[in-house]
Amino acid sequence: MTTNILIAGVGGQGLVLATRIVGGVAFRAGLQVKTCDVIGLAQRGGMVWGSVRFGHAVHSPLIPEGQGDFLLAMEELEGLRWVSLLKAGAVVVLSRETILPNRALLEKDDYPKDVPAQLATHGLKTVCVEANSIARQLGNKRLANTVLLGALSNYLPFAPDTWLEVLRESVPSATIELNEAAFGLGRTPSL
Amino acid sequence: MSNIALLTGNQAIARGFFEAGGVVAASYPGSPTVEIMESLKEYKDMHAHWAMNEKVALEIAIGGSFAGARSLASMKHVGVNIAADPFMTFTQIRTHGGFVLVVGDDPGLSSSQNEQDSRFFAKFAHCALLEPSTPQEAKDYVGLGLSISEEYGMPVIIRLTSTLCHSRGAVLLGERTPPSIAGFTPDQARYCMLPPHANAQQHFMQERIAKLALATDSLALNTYEDTDRRDVLLVTSGLPYQFLAELDLGYSVFKLGLCYPLPIAKLKEIAAEYARVIVIEELMPFIEEQLRAAGIDASGKQFFPFTGALTTDGIRVGLVRAGILQQGTTGAGTPPPAIPRTPMLCSGCPHRPVFHILQKAKALVIGDIGCYSLGILEPFEVLKTNLSMGASLGIMQGMAMAHRTADKARAFVAVIGDGTFFHSGLSGFANITESKENITIIVLDNRTTAMTGGQPTPTTGDLGQATHAISITEVLKSFGIQDISVADQFDYSNTKNVIMGAMKRDGLSVVVVTRPCALNFDVREPHFYVDRDICISCRACIGVNCPPISMKVYEGQNKKNSYIDPNMCVGCSVCSQVCPVKAIKRSTAPEEARP
Repeated sequence: MTTNILIAGVGGQGLVLATRIVGGVAFRAGLQVKTCDVIGLAQRGGMVWGSVRFGHAVHSPLIPEGQGDFLLAMEELEGLRWVSLLKAGAVVVLSRETILPNRALLEKDDYPKDVPAQLATHGLKTVCVEANSIARQLGNKRLANTVLLGALSNYLPFAPDTWLEVLRESVPSATIELNEAAFGLGRTPSL
Repeated sequence: MSNIALLTGNQAIARGFFEAGGVVAASYPGSPTVEIMESLKEYKDMHAHWAMNEKVALEIAIGGSFAGARSLASMKHVGVNIAADPFMTFTQIRTHGGFVLVVGDDPGLSSSQNEQDSRFFAKFAHCALLEPSTPQEAKDYVGLGLSISEEYGMPVIIRLTSTLCHSRGAVLLGERTPPSIAGFTPDQARYCMLPPHANAQQHFMQERIAKLALATDSLALNTYEDTDRRDVLLVTSGLPYQFLAELDLGYSVFKLGLCYPLPIAKLKEIAAEYARVIVIEELMPFIEEQLRAAGIDASGKQFFPFTGALTTDGIRVGLVRAGILQQGTTGAGTPPPAIPRTPMLCSGCPHRPVFHILQKAKALVIGDIGCYSLGILEPFEVLKTNLSMGASLGIMQGMAMAHRTADKARAFVAVIGDGTFFHSGLSGFANITESKENITIIVLDNRTTAMTGGQPTPTTGDLGQATHAISITEVLKSFGIQDISVADQFDYSNTKNVIMGAMKRDGLSVVVVTRPCALNFDVREPHFYVDRDICISCRACIGVNCPPISMKVYEGQNKKNSYIDPNMCVGCSVCSQVCPVKAIKRSTAPEEARP
């Protein structure tokens, strides 16, 4: 069985690092891992995505249609975009973050309303995370992704210590304690 | 466990070069291969060099190889076009130090201006082409490629695609083989490619390819997975092999690691046992055509797309079309409508005021390659052509000539960045200095190759590690160009006057705009906000199209006013300068107090 995690966001949100951390945790846990992420033109505020696949025999780094088990969405509109890649009943960890795309800034498109409800109509289990406000409370908005990883970690078969180990190796050393705190707050189910 | 790492295809290439005793590596940044050189730079004991363009990068690696050192050049697919001139002659020379050219193709054009299939360069240049399907193979093929290069006396192309470049997989790490560098031994018959020496090499190139084609069994690059079934043989290579494996179909598969030359004799023998031979490959039918030319009744491109990246889903659809699979279930339903999110210039990008000025001036602008290619997109839509690195100058010159002949002379404007200026703009500039047409060239000197992640250019200077910088203004003066102005884009009205003035003057004028890249140099000043009591909702600020600026209904209001997201604003001030009623003001709150 391969577990498929899709990560979606906006260029500049730190998606490549998040993909590397999730892949790194599965790898540390001794599983076969393949990941992919887009970089390049998409860096300038375009849509970006990453995939992490792990199990005992993983071939493709990309998630086939309808096979996604989890979606980690760093932004609400990007949470909607990839529904066709997900299984019915897949879990969406959704950051309550809105970044208006260009056509919405120009008032040519309307930003989607009530994304959690729209996801629910597709039979997806949505976990909303106030990642940005938690990150700001910790004093650094760049911690939002670590909060989201904490929330995602509740659904994956890896020990918190493994996550923290990989996290510590992946973030700037001056921010290790803050990242540990952000991960813990994201993992707390009461949120 | 400790000697296994999760590496991207790009990182694995770098690791392979390190382990194989590589010495000289050079590249020019271009997606998807940027990370190869960035990873190489982390290793000691080798030269890993960002060159001015792909041709210079290739020539540096050629020099290393001539001197007997194992050498590598990496570039994106279109970079090979730039480097093709030295490559096509270099390939005639019996290689001394092992040489690999790593090429990143971009099926689907996720960050490129075309979709060319680089595999054809191998046939064109009579050299071997290796195509890895995993990061592990990417690492292994560098060492193998260097050995083939030395044994058969040819350059070896390693072809990656954007997905493999950016995908991670487990890679077994090894020790570095100490490099041995014989040094250059003068031998004009070998290294001076003119007749009669070059004539003799035509035979040499044919012979080495024929020899390699016969030796493929011993190289462990191709794999034949023979199942009991004899109805269909699938032939594939690279990532499509992994996508196919995902489907777990139970057909026999011939996986090619060496896509040129093909082991034709062996494939003929195997293919004869099967009712059908189907080739699964991305882009053009490179493998399929070689099989058919050899008399093997292969098909493939009629079932699989000739454009775009092939995926597991694409292979499934193709095999259904070929009558091999039944229509399977795909997808978990129709996706909800999600509005597009196109890339846009970053907050505080210094290109923004230039495009705003050119848009208002209704200028005819010839574009070039870089972040500023985004000036094609709405709302600016100012760039009317986009072709290849440095092409703006020649295109504008020819267009102006044609217009004048037709009595339709008008002002033309071109934009070119500092990276592109040094990559291939210099010759275009030298060519245009004598032009009598009304031509204005705006050099967007943001002091970095921004689009590919901020690699240095000759103007980076003290903003990076360099102790000196080349001045574009001084270079152009030395070309004899008289009409050169310099402007700081964040002084909007002055920049506008300078550009408009230059456009009005006949002959060649150059405007060098000097603000550094806000993203790469992390420019951040106190943010701006909208004073709602003054804002007249005219949307002039929306027109500058900065990510933090939108229209919103504030609490207790019933109409929209503009709004600046304080977390995204980096304080460039351009919106405040285009506001006709001075409603946009700089915050005086300390930075920590940002909401």
